[in-house]
Amino acid sequence: MAQHNLGTVVSFEFIRTVTKGRFWIGTLSVPIIIAVVFGLIFLSNSTTDTAAAAQKSAQFSISYTDASGLITAQDAALFGATAADSPDAGIQAVQSGAVDAYFDYPAHPETTAVLVHGADKGIFENGKYAAVAQATLTHAVEQRIGSPQLSALAAGKAQIETVTYDGAKESGGLGSVIPPLFFLVIFYGLIVLLAGQMLNSTLEEKENRVTEMILTTLKPTTLIAGKVIALFAIGLVQMLVFLSPIVIGRLFFPKELSLTALDLPPLILDPVRMTIGLLILVGGFALFTTTLVAIGAVMPTAKEAGNFMGVMMALIFVPFYAVALVVSDPQSVIVQIFTFFPFSAPVTALLRNGFGSLSVLEAGIVIVILFVGAAVMLRLAVRLFQYGSISYTSKVNIRTALRAGPRHPAAVKPPTTGR
Amino acid sequence: MGEARVHISGFRMDFGDTTVVRDLSFDVQAGETFGFLGSNGSGKTTTIRALLGIYEPTAGILHINGRDFKPEHGDRLGYLPEERGLYKKEKVIDIMTYFGRLKGMERRTAKRWSLEYLDRVALADRATAVLDKLSSGQQQKVQLGVTIMNNPELLILDEPTKGFDPVNRRLLMDIIAEQKQGGATVVMVTHQMEEVERLCDRVILLKDGTAEAYGTIDEVQNKYGGRIIRIRHTGPLPRSPHYEVMLEETNYSELSITDATDEAVILKDLIDAGVTVRSFTTTKISLEDIFIRVYGDQNKPSTSGSAGAAGSGGPAASRPRQGV
Ligand SMILES: Nc1ncnc2c1ncn2[C@@H]1O[C@H](COP(=O)(O)OP(=O)(O)O)[C@@H](O)[C@H]1O
Ligand SMILES: [Mg+2]
Repeated sequence: MAQHNLGTVVSFEFIRTVTKGRFWIGTLSVPIIIAVVFGLIFLSNSTTDTAAAAQKSAQFSISYTDASGLITAQDAALFGATAADSPDAGIQAVQSGAVDAYFDYPAHPETTAVLVHGADKGIFENGKYAAVAQATLTHAVEQRIGSPQLSALAAGKAQIETVTYDGAKESGGLGSVIPPLFFLVIFYGLIVLLAGQMLNSTLEEKENRVTEMILTTLKPTTLIAGKVIALFAIGLVQMLVFLSPIVIGRLFFPKELSLTALDLPPLILDPVRMTIGLLILVGGFALFTTTLVAIGAVMPTAKEAGNFMGVMMALIFVPFYAVALVVSDPQSVIVQIFTFFPFSAPVTALLRNGFGSLSVLEAGIVIVILFVGAAVMLRLAVRLFQYGSISYTSKVNIRTALRAGPRHPAAVKPPTTGR
Repeated sequence: MGEARVHISGFRMDFGDTTVVRDLSFDVQAGETFGFLGSNGSGKTTTIRALLGIYEPTAGILHINGRDFKPEHGDRLGYLPEERGLYKKEKVIDIMTYFGRLKGMERRTAKRWSLEYLDRVALADRATAVLDKLSSGQQQKVQLGVTIMNNPELLILDEPTKGFDPVNRRLLMDIIAEQKQGGATVVMVTHQMEEVERLCDRVILLKDGTAEAYGTIDEVQNKYGGRIIRIRHTGPLPRSPHYEVMLEETNYSELSITDATDEAVILKDLIDAGVTVRSFTTTKISLEDIFIRVYGDQNKPSTSGSAGAAGSGGPAASRPRQGV
């Protein structure tokens, strides 16, 4: 019965959240913004890439001067540029509208900037001037080197792959750090996205006076656990939606989105570290959720609950102040404290797990701390909800709620009156 | 009668330094309809909450079916709290189905039952409306539906008529009567004394946190003398050990007989005292009369408490309203 009720609560809470328009407006706005940003990158990439080619069909007229002597008239002609008499004459020609652009190549373009003067044609078009100036110079230099291979290598286009060894075993480098660190990203994502909802998850029962109906219909533990699980699922849905533009982009437009940041090295999935990461993620999520739910159960309104948000958020960002230390000196006292203090443990331990400096023993201890902490907080949250949520308007007296022992102490020693 | 559905003994409830209920004991037998009466703030809601495990009692035993109430025990409880409220942003049918499921019904059964209920209370067209789009009376009907889902064996209704218009109050009373017919035990807090007289087998009157009267309606009436005399008269009424003056206006008074004295004796005493009696009727004391007698002094100066309406009817309607 309890098991079946847990499922009922989870599905009710999950469905009623994801069927609300408000949820999707909030959730979809993120990938839409990402898509717009990618779209802009794509647009500006394509403008610069095709700028040189477009110039061949002489869309704008160019004059130039070259103090370096690197650019031959032939190179310039290829891009439709004609020599100007002097820099002043070149600039004047632009200002008078006689030409669209004038490039002023200095004597030492390797140290001094090439000055590009152009008639204003709007943000995207203006980018083409610089692209053509660059392409002209590159072409001229390639002609001087006289070998496409040499010029490509000189341009730093050689591909290099690194293999590192941990003993005789290949160690993964960045490729092995990224997958376990992914759990850290998910953790942050879930907490930041859901902290507000966690805090307010029992507020609806309180504000709408549903508590009495609920408390007499199901175990408060079932309600709270159901809400926590539903929040986790909701968070995962949001993460998937947020990641969708990246996945879609990489699947369908791999060329266009040649963002080096996304060109990951081959990923190595170490089953032990992945399992540890997953357990810390789940344990940490459970601890934070139950804590926020407990705080929410004490607060009569959303506004008062909100004041506590800052504190909780600070706790998950604190380990980042010491991130360098966490990576470089995991045995230092402060990192040890961060690792085992329940509220900084998830972030610290996930970081260390990513960088491979968290031993299995330490991981085990952290995981136990998180799950035990979550269980304790769940009990506390349930208790506060049970004896606090009827105080619809005033703050719960935590001490009173905690002092309340097992129900009906008198029932343990019933008077010997028969009926 | 059979076993006690509800058993309360030695119940005491303190909030901080204030004692709200002291040494309260009563039983509700299986199958009976029980009136839980008392003025505002006398501790009725507190008692119900402690019985249902929402409040931690300071002392005492509060049992349902012989043990502390826990939702997971699976007692079929239908509870209509005084503080009404459901999930406001959800659809009526979703809320009802959810509670039906929590009470152990299959999803489809719960949904079908809910639709039939909504049809009966003239809300069929609002099944897919979001709850807070309904009027407050309509929301009350939805909440009543949730309360009686899955055939409760014990119905606890805390001021069920609150927020219902007379037509819907009739509907509510019909539904309660049906539940009773179906074998449910009903515990009802209400200020509608006529309804108590019609529906309840037994009542308890709570005053200052403890039982003022407890028993069948006859027993309670007899405790308070059982008879009321209504007289139209001129001239002041004499005081007498045989009755208590409940109401005295210039030409109309109500007396409550406090001992076994025959009405004729009292009439003779009045006439002997020089009162001109133009009409003289004896009726059985109503619960409303008792209520006012018990709680009437509550709003006299130096006592606080909010005033409310207590039922309706006859000449009683003209007397100053006392705290209820
Ligand atoms: N949670 C609480 N904290 C403090 N006092 C309370 C609480 N609940 C009820 N009371 C007090 O207990 C008394 C009885 O209230 P209640 O049981 O609601 O009365 P009734 O339902 O009979 O009108 C009132 O004086 C009320 O103020
Ligand atoms: Mg009440």
